[in-house]
Amino acid sequence: MPLPNRTLTAMGLRASLLQATWNYERQQGIGWAWALQPALERLYPDPARRAERLAAHTAYFNTQPTVASVTLGAAAALEEQLATGGAADADAIARVKSVLGASLAAVGDRLFWFTLRPFAACVGIALVLLGAGWGAAALWLTYNAVHQPVRLLGVRWGYVAGPAIVAGPLRGRLETLTGALARAGALVLGVVMAALMVPGGQPSPAGFQMLLAGGLALGLFTAPRSRPSPTEWALMVGSAALVIGWRR
Amino acid sequence: MTARILALVLLGGLAALDATPVAQTMLFQPLVTASLVGLLFGQWLLAVKVGLVLQVFAACTMPVGSRTPEDYATGGVIGAGTAVLLATALPFSLAHEASAFAGVAAGLVSATLGVPLVKWQRRRNEGLSRWCEDAVRAGDLGAPGKAAAAGIAMAFGIAVVFCALFLGAGILLLTPLVRSHSIALAHAWTIAQPLWLGIGLAHLLSAFVQRRFMRAALFGVGLVVGWILLLVVA
Repeated sequence: MPLPNRTLTAMGLRASLLQATWNYERQQGIGWAWALQPALERLYPDPARRAERLAAHTAYFNTQPTVASVTLGAAAALEEQLATGGAADADAIARVKSVLGASLAAVGDRLFWFTLRPFAACVGIALVLLGAGWGAAALWLTYNAVHQPVRLLGVRWGYVAGPAIVAGPLRGRLETLTGALARAGALVLGVVMAALMVPGGQPSPAGFQMLLAGGLALGLFTAPRSRPSPTEWALMVGSAALVIGWRR
Repeated sequence: MTARILALVLLGGLAALDATPVAQTMLFQPLVTASLVGLLFGQWLLAVKVGLVLQVFAACTMPVGSRTPEDYATGGVIGAGTAVLLATALPFSLAHEASAFAGVAAGLVSATLGVPLVKWQRRRNEGLSRWCEDAVRAGDLGAPGKAAAAGIAMAFGIAVVFCALFLGAGILLLTPLVRSHSIALAHAWTIAQPLWLGIGLAHLLSAFVQRRFMRAALFGVGLVVGWILLLVVA
């Protein structure tokens, strides 16, 4: 009997705590086992067998946390095969889990960390600079408009498609969304720069504009380098400004 | 005031939970937490001024791979909290700008100092995960849930204590400094604010454009159209 929607929803909700015990040894392993537990409870009535499968899932696992839902669904489909004597075996499940996690992490990192998060931040910043008091709410809503559906519905997508999901249309759709958000992000960032240079329709002081341009040039020069990090640059610039401010 | 300060450190704990252990809804982003801090203390403009600078750096700090990124969850709360607490204690206009500089500096320093704390917490979680596997093998099927609850409680507790200690120490050290050197700090803010925004926005631009002409052109379109519209509409 296929897993009911209630079980898949419970897995999606539990996926929110995937990183509750994140650590260097198993990374998301324990959170993964806890998220998969509703499926294991339905598939394995024997507590000893269930404990064995749950223990196997506490092993190392890591992926981008939002798209982990898709991998959870695919793993539940394989566990169902194993429980009903189908083609899957325990080793194959561990391998597929690892491959799916790595493969979806590549797409998920690009979409959620490198693109959607900066895009949502730019939307929030632009609105605040344009005088809207709800910029922070817009940031939160923009991110969650994509994050929550993928987290909650991703389990079903993965369960229905199984491990083949990684080669299916989902990957292409997520990549298309990433490209569209990056283009929209560049556009919004242009508006942010304009709002900084002519706030409320009045040009900023020349000194502000020159320093902004200087910061932009320094940032573009340092962006391709991983060290010093942007925060370290910010600390250095802040220290230099403090010294100059003190001397004036 | 005590209730507000308590709410501030609890917000630090909630932000730390949202950053990694629970949900990752971006409630922890500095612009969001700074807006909440500003509403809490009735200093929304100042808090958001600090939050904007911290936000551009938080947005270009990626939690990817083995690198532990700077902790802007507590950093955002501490930065905005420091600024509003200083401005509440010293309500004159130069102190407002000086407080903004001190707030951003406190936010950046606490975000950096939060990294070893996050690493320590993750090492503690290793013991928790080993215990969990042993307990599951012994037949305790509730162990993953208990481990998750313990991990969440630890993350919340550590963040609350870190925020309380950092805010307390920051206010003690910075209040006399802002009181006696507000002009120098206000000058520093005038210089640092555009530089900070420029550096952070350049990193975001680089992440979006990735050497693609079309995306760079879209940035230009946004800049020019935004400029014209702002001049004409306002």
